[in-house]
Amino acid sequence: MNDVESNPRGTVKAAGVSLKDLRKSYGSNEVLKGISLDVAPGEVVCLIGPSGSGKSTLLRCVNLLEKPNEGTIHVGGFEATDLDVDIDKMRRKVGMVFQQFNLFPHLDALRNCTVAQTKVLRRSQAEADKVARHNLERVGLGHLADRFPDQLSGGQQQRVAIARALSMNPELMLFDEPTSALDPETVGDVLAVMRNLAKEGMTMLVVTHEMGFAREVADRVVFMDGGVVVEEGVAEQVISAPTQPRTKEFLRRVLDPTHIEVVED
Amino acid sequence: MAMTARQRAKVSLYVQAGIFVVAVAALILAADWKTIGNSVFNFAKIGPMFPDIFLVGLKNTLIYTALGFIVGLSGGLLLALMKLSTFPLYRWIATGYIEFFRGIPALLVFIAFGYGVPLAFQVSWDVTIVVMVSLGMVASAYIAETLRAGLQAVPKGQMEAARSLGMPQWRAMVTIVIPQAFKIVLPPLTNEVILLTKDSSLIYVLGLTASQYELTKFGRDGISSLGAGLTPLLVAGAFYLIITIPLSLLARKFESRTARTKR
Repeated sequence: MNDVESNPRGTVKAAGVSLKDLRKSYGSNEVLKGISLDVAPGEVVCLIGPSGSGKSTLLRCVNLLEKPNEGTIHVGGFEATDLDVDIDKMRRKVGMVFQQFNLFPHLDALRNCTVAQTKVLRRSQAEADKVARHNLERVGLGHLADRFPDQLSGGQQQRVAIARALSMNPELMLFDEPTSALDPETVGDVLAVMRNLAKEGMTMLVVTHEMGFAREVADRVVFMDGGVVVEEGVAEQVISAPTQPRTKEFLRRVLDPTHIEVVED
Repeated sequence: MAMTARQRAKVSLYVQAGIFVVAVAALILAADWKTIGNSVFNFAKIGPMFPDIFLVGLKNTLIYTALGFIVGLSGGLLLALMKLSTFPLYRWIATGYIEFFRGIPALLVFIAFGYGVPLAFQVSWDVTIVVMVSLGMVASAYIAETLRAGLQAVPKGQMEAARSLGMPQWRAMVTIVIPQAFKIVLPPLTNEVILLTKDSSLIYVLGLTASQYELTKFGRDGISSLGAGLTPLLVAGAFYLIITIPLSLLARKFESRTARTKR
């Protein structure tokens, strides 16, 4: 489970994730209250839940942008929570996409995708350029390689950010609300790129509010609330036929925000 | 008759201009123009200042400023990183250094490194070394605060993105955060250079040989030797403006450029 396995579903090398009894507090505020979650290589798992439920924190724990107080994290062949682990080496295998894109504004799209390749993986500039161009093509932005981030729309920036992560040849991709900061009309392009990535067999852990995407692309959906996993299961089942009252309540609000409940005695 | 708001504004503007003209006229009438002509604008007698004030003075001022700036920038960057360190000892050292050197007059630092330190350690320092160290150490303190603000102005997500790509902390700093911070601090950093240019004149407290004179020293010497009153200082001042005005224009250009590239 934890090792990189040959992936029957797709073409890319994919790693699995295993989280056990993860706890995280900020001061006296416990954000993660003992979470266990396994993601198989090539599996796509969507984390849903109200804001403040701890789903972003959980995602950021996987590549140790947040340090958990307790519990273990295995990613690929690494135990992230081992104090002796080479965290930088582990992070090369884990791509991360942020809500606010976090592109490097002083570098053009191509350099955004090559800087870590040359500085971290020690690839030659020529090789890095080749990989970067391939990945920019992959997200449909090969023609904008020389644009700077401030010359790109939000959706384009997010796709460059995905290409940047892919250029490191990750075996796992983490998405932290990748479409929440986008104009509605550019959301589709980003989701399409993510859908293709899922088809290629990438392991993906996605924090999202896009229920349509979760239902269509995710193998499993995990509903979190108050720092615990309330319900998890096959995407279609969790979204269409949730069993827990809190899941039902959340989904009703998300799927039909204008719905006004009529209370009858 | 009642005035409209626009009429009132117009009248107010005329009144202000009138006050200004009257004040300038009063100053011109009150001044002793004969004396001023002899001792401030007496350009007939300043010939001997040239070409040395240009070839030696301007050159030395530029060299002293550049040396001070190089030391100040490296020291400032080191101090800024120390001040942002998670290791408390580094923060305390940096804070202590900055507060000390910002708090005392630069002149005292020149005296300390020109006379005190060579005496204490029985070494003899070349004037160039003294300027470099004194100016550099004072500049470090100011530049450190400027750079710290610049580093903190780079969004946290930049460091996170770099780290998530597998970059170690130092690599993310060097390749991603510091280049962006420098872009942010270019205008205030140019101001630091302007301040340094003027502070380089403090070297006058040391005994200088002719080839080490900078602009202010030329001005002061001119006062005592040329019999043109304060005119030589006016000339020296003009040379400072030759350095500092282009720097100001440069800073403004940087400022408008960063404003444009920022979303």
